[in-house]
Amino acid sequence: MTDYDHAAIDEVLHSRVRLAIVAFLAGAGAADFSAIRDAIKTTDGNASVHLRKLEDTGYVTVEKRFAARKPKSVYRLTEAGRRALNEYVTHLESLLPSGRQR
Amino acid sequence: MIEDRAREDIAFIRETIEAGRTYATSLGSDMVVWGVAVAIGHLTTYLRVGGGLSPGWIWAACIGLPWLYSLRRYWRRFLRNRQPTHPGPMAKAQQMLWLGFGIFLTTLAIAASWTGEMRLGWFDAVAAGALGSTVFATAWLASLPWLRWVAVGWWGGELLVYGLRNEAEMQLVSAAMMLLLLALPGLVLVTRRMPRRSA
Repeated sequence: MTDYDHAAIDEVLHSRVRLAIVAFLAGAGAADFSAIRDAIKTTDGNASVHLRKLEDTGYVTVEKRFAARKPKSVYRLTEAGRRALNEYVTHLESLLPSGRQR
Repeated sequence: MIEDRAREDIAFIRETIEAGRTYATSLGSDMVVWGVAVAIGHLTTYLRVGGGLSPGWIWAACIGLPWLYSLRRYWRRFLRNRQPTHPGPMAKAQQMLWLGFGIFLTTLAIAASWTGEMRLGWFDAVAAGALGSTVFATAWLASLPWLRWVAVGWWGGELLVYGLRNEAEMQLVSAAMMLLLLALPGLVLVTRRMPRRSA
């Protein structure tokens, strides 16, 4: 049995949607809004709220530009976001008995 | 219970990172593999004058192997009994566009080889024009405006290849187009979205 340390949980990443966004961007490097929304299977509004929260926390950055006269927001994971994801995974792994992580 | 939840979360994170990687590199890596393979086919055909391996076998390898690569996500799905990792509608549209293009060109190549029409030299011009159209549609679907100029390059190449259809140098021009207008843009797509370091 392992100890469950609530203080060690990153509250921002504890949301499943935000965790999915950060994990998706960790793999993609950069992605536009619609790709993120489709990947995490949510609505425009929900994705927008969670991306704003991640932006405010400094885990993602957004670059707004025009492509074919349409506004396009491209999101990237920051070093802080990547570090937070690594720490979150490390914390989850610490909850498992050693050698039984998969 | 906590262990189960942690295990589920870790699996979820790994799958989502994999989905991100698929989004970032799938189209680009396919373009690189196909561009290089078909360029090798053209170059080998050009250099083969005077004997060697039959062009039929060369082209079977240069088309068959990229097909195996492009269908990898379906192999994975079949072997692991899992759903595809990136089901977004735009990504799906791109995948189906390129799949349809590949089926069209492969069946036309088989028919043209079977009937001996391939020797007349029009096939590469048709392939270049169709590639131009597919790249053009991809540019819009993927919001990659610069890719439209690659499509224009393919349409220009279509005219050039058609003009050279009776010359051996047509093979060299086609190989160069495959490298410059397919493999190179694919490489750009792979590198511009590649994460610097995985989580």
